[in-house]
Amino acid sequence: MTEEIGANDFSYPGLGEIIFMKSENFIQSVMNWGRSRSLWPLTFGTKCCAMEMIPFGATKIDADRTGTLFVGDSPRQADLVLCSGTISKKMARRLLNAYEQMASPKYVIAVGACNISGGLFHDSYNSIEGIDRIMPVDVYIPGCPPRPEMFMDAVLVLQKLIKENKIKRYQDGIFGHNKG
Amino acid sequence: MENENRNKITINIGPVHPSTHGVLKFVVEIDQDTMKKVEPEIGFVHRGVEKMAEMKYFNSFMPIADKLDYISALNWEVLYATTVENALGVTVPPRAIYIRTLMCEMQRMMSHLLFLAHVGEDLGNTTLFMWGFRERELLMDLTEEVSGGRLAPMYVSIGGLYYDLPDGFSEKLLSTLNIIESKVKNEYKALSYENGLFKMRTVGVGVISKEQIVKYGITGPNIRASGVKRDIRKDDPYLAYDKVDFDVITETAGDCYARFMVRVNEILESIKIIRQIMKDMPAGEVKVKVPWIFKIPPKYTLVRQETPRGEAAMYMVTNDDQKPYRLKIRAPSFYTIQAVKELFVGSKVADLVAILGSLDPVPGEIDR
Amino acid sequence: MESSDTIKGRFPTLLSDVVSTNKNETIVLLSDKTKLKTIVSEIKNHFDILFMLMVVDRPPKVFEMNYVFASYSKNDMLTLRVEIEHDNPSVDSISNLLESADWEEREAYDMFGINFKGHKDLRRVLLPEDWPGRPLRKDFEVTDEVRNWTGLDLKF
Repeated sequence: MTEEIGANDFSYPGLGEIIFMKSENFIQSVMNWGRSRSLWPLTFGTKCCAMEMIPFGATKIDADRTGTLFVGDSPRQADLVLCSGTISKKMARRLLNAYEQMASPKYVIAVGACNISGGLFHDSYNSIEGIDRIMPVDVYIPGCPPRPEMFMDAVLVLQKLIKENKIKRYQDGIFGHNKG
Repeated sequence: MENENRNKITINIGPVHPSTHGVLKFVVEIDQDTMKKVEPEIGFVHRGVEKMAEMKYFNSFMPIADKLDYISALNWEVLYATTVENALGVTVPPRAIYIRTLMCEMQRMMSHLLFLAHVGEDLGNTTLFMWGFRERELLMDLTEEVSGGRLAPMYVSIGGLYYDLPDGFSEKLLSTLNIIESKVKNEYKALSYENGLFKMRTVGVGVISKEQIVKYGITGPNIRASGVKRDIRKDDPYLAYDKVDFDVITETAGDCYARFMVRVNEILESIKIIRQIMKDMPAGEVKVKVPWIFKIPPKYTLVRQETPRGEAAMYMVTNDDQKPYRLKIRAPSFYTIQAVKELFVGSKVADLVAILGSLDPVPGEIDR
Repeated sequence: MESSDTIKGRFPTLLSDVVSTNKNETIVLLSDKTKLKTIVSEIKNHFDILFMLMVVDRPPKVFEMNYVFASYSKNDMLTLRVEIEHDNPSVDSISNLLESADWEEREAYDMFGINFKGHKDLRRVLLPEDWPGRPLRKDFEVTDEVRNWTGLDLKF
């Protein structure tokens, strides 16, 4: 992302645009606006980064300000996976299981070096080298572990992406294993 | 269906479940809400740390030692550095030993504060969760000021420390300790350990007997809550623990409440230790020069230390090479989590969370 | 130290001393692996728990089993070292004598494929049942093939 993204950077369509907009596009942009403001995360934290995810929800950073509410870790109610920590080969299928249960549209934030590329554990025999090998990822948070502020930044970036309709869609069969 | 089996169900709790600490799984057989048989399953974050140790230079393993138990990273850094130093025959300067002791105790406080916060959250006491993290943040900021890292500081090097304490650290630390001491003694008291509701959930739940301790090899605060006075810091002193005055905290009941109280009092004890350390801190160098890549002759080195979760140990086999031939890690939680096979049985499902939370397991360390 | 001397005194022919570099720790070498259970039942009178079990792979001949025993009342630790053959490695399980050995033996089975005779529940503990290979053996190399595999085809 090259553009500067601030918390006040609303991208409402202007009145002139709304009048000449196709109705589907209008509905789409209003829905996206709504979606971006109520991201309920599924906290799929396996390791150290999960410990920094908790201060993200706790007092100092306070995720609730962006509408990111930690309300029950059920994949059925969530629309954002905050996936963090090393994903081992034993865990990969369980992560995908949780992801496939979520209602569409769904967004993924990959947290930490292990999750992006394997990181420190890239030459381990039992970790997978990045979750983008098994599912699409929208926003990456680098760091080992990232600071809690960076989670907030990632959520703001994701909100912008959602509003601009630049989200990677999960299509059956793209990754080969979702058929049937 | 048979009549007697109608009330029995088997459920899988985990691996990712709000009530499990990290990624653990329990296969629980339930008869009318009472747990009859429990089978813990681990290995969901197994990263092959022991194999990676064999593939890396001695120095390069340090960040991985950091992430074994990510809640008490500095304790594991010190443990690994001590193991290599013992094998290499390096003596660490006294100032480094004192600062290491200080960092170990700060880490112990952070770990225990996180424990209090988590038990609070598990029992539905969200205020305790918020408060625990608030006080932990204060110490986190100090760790960051010292080392540059929050969770994984990478502060301890083989041969000492990477750098000295920053200027004006002592005053900041001591004022932070005063804040934490008063909060733990007053606010936490009202909210948790003198609170009637909290006591109802924890007193008499999940009692660990002395037989179970010996049977499963449990160590650390969990056994001190059952009245076993065992602490490596006191019994087999390492670092500067023989130069400071502190008590080994014990409770007698062995239930969740006792395990909570042991941690609360250990926070206060750590504050006591840190105050003495800061008073007696010697001046001088903080490291001796050790080359980045070195060889260690064939040797077996066993070092054990007290981490916030119990007795951790590293057994290193070297073979005149630049990398260890074998590094075995003893993670205290690995033994503690075996005990849930007996601890959960007979309790209600709702108490699973309380008992598991009070054991304070960390999957990163269990699975390695 | 006294307790380890007592144990050595009881089995003078089986146990031989190995020079140890660590304080509080004694390393003894057991020459006959079939006598493991006899020795451990004697050790049990002096030590409480199996502190750790370290297996060292020394190809092509032996696996070196290092049983470390510790006690809650003393600082002493005793390492009992047994060497077992590399092909089809097997040794008596001590988990029915010391329950704390249960998962340690399962881990050794998991990582090295050592067969513990008499263990009541010998399954893999950290890796899934259908994970191919014994990763901590020296001949297991972390190749690109292993690293690129995502593990989605694992059943367990």
